[in-house]
Amino acid sequence: MSLAGFEVEVERTGATGLETEEMTLNMGPQHPSTHGVLRFVVKADGEVMREAIPDVGYLHRSIEKISEKVGYHGFMPYTDRVDYVAAMFCNQGWGMVCEKLAGIEVPKRGEYCRIIAAEFNRIASHLLSVGTMVLDIGAATPFFHAFREREKINDLLEELCGARLTYNYMRIGGVAWDLPPGFVEKATAFLDAFEPLIDEYNDLITYNTIYLGRVADVAVISGAEAINYNLVGPNLRASGVNYDVRRDEPYSVYPELEFDVPVGAGEEGTVGDCFDRYIVRIREMKESCKILRQCFKQMPDGPVIAKVPRKFKPPAGDAYIRVESARGDMGWYCVSDGSEFPYRTKVRTGSFAAMAIIDKVSRGLMIADLVAVIASLDIVAPEVDR
Amino acid sequence: MRQRGYLRNIVDTAKTVFEGMAVTFSHFVRKPFTVQYPDRTAIRVQDTLPFRYRGILEVDLEICTGCLACERACPIDCIVIDVKKDPQTRGMVMTRFDIDMAKCMYCGLCSEPCPTGAIHHTPEFEGADYSLESLIRRFVKDPVVAYKPKKGPETDPDIAPLLDRGMRYVEEFASPEAKSAAEEEAA
Amino acid sequence: MQEFLDGLIAQGYFAGVPRDVVYAAGMLVFGAIVLLVFILNVAGGTTFVERRVWARIQSRVGPNRVGPQGILQWLVDGIKLVMKEDIVPAAADRPLFLAAPYVVMMGFVSAFVVIPFGSRLIIADMNVGILYLTAITALVVVGILMAGWASNNKWSLIGGIRSAAQIVSYEIPAGLSIFPIVLLTGTLSMQGIIEAQGWQPWRWFVFANPFTFVAFFIFFTAALAEGNRTPFDLPEAESELVAGFVTEYSGVRYLIFFMAEWGNLYVIGAVVTTLFLGGWHIPHVTDSVVLSTVLEFLVFFVKSYFWALVAMWIRATLPRVRVDQLMTICWKYLVPVAFVNVLGTASWMVVFPQGNRVVSFAMFLVGVAIIVQFFRRVFFHLRRARVREHGELVFSPLS
Repeated sequence: MSLAGFEVEVERTGATGLETEEMTLNMGPQHPSTHGVLRFVVKADGEVMREAIPDVGYLHRSIEKISEKVGYHGFMPYTDRVDYVAAMFCNQGWGMVCEKLAGIEVPKRGEYCRIIAAEFNRIASHLLSVGTMVLDIGAATPFFHAFREREKINDLLEELCGARLTYNYMRIGGVAWDLPPGFVEKATAFLDAFEPLIDEYNDLITYNTIYLGRVADVAVISGAEAINYNLVGPNLRASGVNYDVRRDEPYSVYPELEFDVPVGAGEEGTVGDCFDRYIVRIREMKESCKILRQCFKQMPDGPVIAKVPRKFKPPAGDAYIRVESARGDMGWYCVSDGSEFPYRTKVRTGSFAAMAIIDKVSRGLMIADLVAVIASLDIVAPEVDR
Repeated sequence: MRQRGYLRNIVDTAKTVFEGMAVTFSHFVRKPFTVQYPDRTAIRVQDTLPFRYRGILEVDLEICTGCLACERACPIDCIVIDVKKDPQTRGMVMTRFDIDMAKCMYCGLCSEPCPTGAIHHTPEFEGADYSLESLIRRFVKDPVVAYKPKKGPETDPDIAPLLDRGMRYVEEFASPEAKSAAEEEAA
Repeated sequence: MQEFLDGLIAQGYFAGVPRDVVYAAGMLVFGAIVLLVFILNVAGGTTFVERRVWARIQSRVGPNRVGPQGILQWLVDGIKLVMKEDIVPAAADRPLFLAAPYVVMMGFVSAFVVIPFGSRLIIADMNVGILYLTAITALVVVGILMAGWASNNKWSLIGGIRSAAQIVSYEIPAGLSIFPIVLLTGTLSMQGIIEAQGWQPWRWFVFANPFTFVAFFIFFTAALAEGNRTPFDLPEAESELVAGFVTEYSGVRYLIFFMAEWGNLYVIGAVVTTLFLGGWHIPHVTDSVVLSTVLEFLVFFVKSYFWALVAMWIRATLPRVRVDQLMTICWKYLVPVAFVNVLGTASWMVVFPQGNRVVSFAMFLVGVAIIVQFFRRVFFHLRRARVREHGELVFSPLS
């Protein structure tokens, strides 16, 4: 599968008496609709694709290797960059794996702060995903509306931790800052204003016939296929598999919270098409609003961080934890050799697995559909390459 | 088009297009969300940012104790401090405190362990400049004597407000060990 | 305009010059005036208006720094494009590449010859006016194909071919929707079509009978597709093909393509106004020729520009259709319904040779009801988003 540049591969099929050529197109690293620097080499027969070969690695920054140099505490800001769209989950993942290695318990209020930050980030990440998906399909307005709401969430998180994208909010053993005064009121006001806007968004674009024509019944991924190809998160749930790490392998304080897990039901097409992946995300945003309201009501008082030594030296061993990130089940694995620096860190992200299924699912689709497929799988390049 | 019945398709299209256009028209008569930075804002954007905002780093050398906690905490090694014991006065003297803002990733790990809040983030974010060297902030011009935190409240009128602001910044952090580190320094 | 020139000749100007030469020179002069004063400014101004309208729909402010409220933005953009380097790709087909923008421009500008700006303001009132318009705007297809092929870029080629298929296909429902109007008036001339309507809305052809009402929507949709506007803007699908068939163009050539597209918006509006909305008709308020001409021009401009605004609004709202869906819409939905409209109008004319005032008025009320229902939905959305509470209701588009 080595392709030097992109040569035109000429296939002269004399079967029908017509000589046709298969075009090799390069949907290159710089393209307005690939989500970050991804490259696809598309072999198309006119409009219909025969193969779409992904080429990854343009955003590889050796983040896992860097963890071996900066140590456990210093690695926390780097985890933001693993998936900068949903950074709180990465923070939480790293915090949790270090806590598991050293056997530290996070105080209750700290866990609630983590969930609050994480669920806000989930809403923001889904807004971005849904907004860019409709933008790629052609509607420019819902994208801006989604980003306007994202701005409001960014403002809230800026009050919480001082940054808008790379939060570095959590620390090993808890979180770095408690909720500032007035935060709960502002957050509740935001949630009250936000929930009707999801309905407005649905009125604008979700059930629009043209939009449904573009995403319903496109790129159907069945449940068995999704499991085979290692899809996680909203992608998996859209294919009908009812699995959510928050409910099935609960961590943190999720057992104390009540929420539904939206699963794709093929209401506008087949189960597992692009529309299901889209609508699962929209519904998850509503569920996150529910979770947030419960957290604000149920939060106990107390410390938000456990006592962790400055020179953090967990005992030798390894630990693997899962977090339900916005993009699915994100796995964090860390091997410690007893020193201040980890021996090996590995992140398992949902987007990397989703790249594999694009080739399979896009045979026979049109080039315009490839854009819809990539967008519906919610692939972000930093997660793919780390 | 999806096969849902010919007439049903037409009716659905007309209805959803109509609804979508109603939504967009309703947005046309709403106030835009844009903040017209930098010249058409009511107050300077920097003054609207929350206290915890992690902008460009600033060091108040008057209250810096020379403990090197920030240098050790920085994951990128962008803080370089030269501190040595002055043989005559038996106190610590700093000759160099450089922060390379080009490398800094504004993570806030340096301001967390600071015992007095000397190193802290400001709401300033406009740091663009024409050369890379100008991004290295050199805070020490002449050798500075490191600060020794007093047991009681600070009495020097020049230093007290700085210490207040610094401690307020540090107290925002929830980390229990930062407070205990400050107690160790004071002892 | 012919009467105007006849009047001048009768008063003794141009003595000794053959009539045809005077006519030709007059058309040239008026054409130049229309091109320089009207088309360039309207096309350029439309880019600015589109950006502001889009921005307000998207909760943001558009360009508002260059000149008061940003009015000079389009001028500055045009000057910038003119100053850019003219790049011709090395492997491109040079003569075709260079000529393509001009072919497109020709197809677009020639349409203005028959646009009736007022009862006396038309460059050439041909007796095949609307047919000429349909034919000459098809010249754009040739230009787009040339641009797509000559760019030596696979993405441009895809864009050019898509566009050619699209424009050629949508000529059919557009033409078929013009037939009912032609049947009603018996003439293809633009001024003739307008003169058969009146200034009251219920005398407009859109409300003449239910079939022309449907033909109006079909024509507007087909015209949007011919102008490469969303939801049919595949040839320039920004998210797929960068810029489609104009990807390789820079500088003045890009400016020409740009202007042709935005000016086409106005042409769509003008044709819709002429055929369906009564053109330049005004109630009889003044006897002065100059004043009534000015009023007619304003009425026509407002009516046609409104449809340009509607096209911008639709572009902001709807996603793009895929190529095969585009063809399905054309051949399976628009063409059969357009045929039904033609047959229906013909039957209507047999049953009601003089038209039916009652039905026209009823259709007018239906139109009003649709608009009322629309505003009710708008208020519903404003209420649900609690806009009044948050103090966000702002009617002025210039804030």
